[in-house]
Amino acid sequence: MSDLAAILAVARKDLLQEVRGRAVTVATLFFSAVTLVMMAFAIGQDAALLQRSAPGVLWVALAFAGVIASAQSFQSDLEEGAFDQLLLYPVPRASVFLGKLLANWLYLTLLGLLMTPVTLVLYGAPAGPRAWLLVPTLALGTLGFALIATFYAALTANLRAREALLPVLMFPVVVPVLLGAVRASEATLQLSNAALTGGWLQLLGGFDLVYLVTCTAIFHLVVEE
Amino acid sequence: MGDTGVMPAPDASPEVPAIALDGVTKRFGREPVLRGLRLEMAPGRVAVLRGSNGAGKTTLLRLLATRLRPTSGHGRVFGYDLQRGGDEVRRRVALLSVLGGNYAMLTARENLALAATLTGLPDADVDGALAHVGLAQVADVLTRTFSSGMKKRLGLARLLLVDAPLWLLDEPFAALDEDGKRLLEDALASARAGGRTILMASHELERSSRFADAVLELEGGRLLRAGSGA
Repeated sequence: MSDLAAILAVARKDLLQEVRGRAVTVATLFFSAVTLVMMAFAIGQDAALLQRSAPGVLWVALAFAGVIASAQSFQSDLEEGAFDQLLLYPVPRASVFLGKLLANWLYLTLLGLLMTPVTLVLYGAPAGPRAWLLVPTLALGTLGFALIATFYAALTANLRAREALLPVLMFPVVVPVLLGAVRASEATLQLSNAALTGGWLQLLGGFDLVYLVTCTAIFHLVVEE
Repeated sequence: MGDTGVMPAPDASPEVPAIALDGVTKRFGREPVLRGLRLEMAPGRVAVLRGSNGAGKTTLLRLLATRLRPTSGHGRVFGYDLQRGGDEVRRRVALLSVLGGNYAMLTARENLALAATLTGLPDADVDGALAHVGLAQVADVLTRTFSSGMKKRLGLARLLLVDAPLWLLDEPFAALDEDGKRLLEDALASARAGGRTILMASHELERSSRFADAVLELEGGRLLRAGSGA
């Protein structure tokens, strides 16, 4: 069996569980909506400030929702010893990691695509001619986030204090991705120097590549006890 | 998979032990759970592992399935090192765990199809395996609605589908009704006839010993006694 078939099988399994359970979908949608609305109220009536805040608030909401989604993706695995069983199949550990990463990435990208227009409307941010660049920005930003979140969710999955430890461990590592994603989003929406968009996207791609190689290579150390 | 559910073992060679442990110790933190285990088991043999709760039976089975790394010592399965040859070991091992290892939000058929895909058997007879363990009628039902016995039957179906040369069974009779236990006994008899090597931890000594060449007693992480033939 090819590694690709294993990756797709693991991703399909995770997505199928989420489509049926909807636990993460409900939690993340609700949490994201509350974050966007509360931050808009907190910022107040200043239209210019609201516009400038939009990219940052969007990525804060996505990051918090991403922590919930990643933690839950391993929680369902741990029930009834299913993760043990998953790791007993003769497929490379890296394929298991990439399958779970693919599911988390797709989910976060979809969530981002849903939240972006809501954020733009709520914060009055201009969707100019370059707004389509938000799609690659979201794809690269959520990939970097999902890489770190999936890796650390696996690392903390068997710990009693996993809900507290996951954000504490992963956020310091994921900060470069979030900063890059916020800056790329600002440049895309022409809230800062638009000419910098390409540079920020390249930087995001670079982070993603480094994290992808590193996390995939050492995932087996994380899941073996 | 034939009528009995088991095909002849693919690569069992009498010269290479199915299981070879040399001074294997496993600690969780400072607490040793397995202490310097030495064990050799020839291919095609069936052994029952008995011992009180906490004796280290499940730890030993998980270690042989490469889910746990030995703290010290060396272990081999069909000649492959448990640590350096993990992928090769996993190609030759199937584990039936106490918990069942099923995904609650997948159907019985989807659980088995996932096992078939990840074992590299995409054309495996999933429906046949489900029918063999009496779950054909609930093939498309989410396993979260299954009783413990049904989950154990599904685990047995996965064991038959994956069809590995070494079966590691952790309390295989637990949660099964009388029909289920007979089904498992038939599967064990077929597996033994087909040359499978079986190591099973069980408190149902009378039932499991019918198939066993040896009874191994594990206590406090030490192997106290190995019966003949292991």
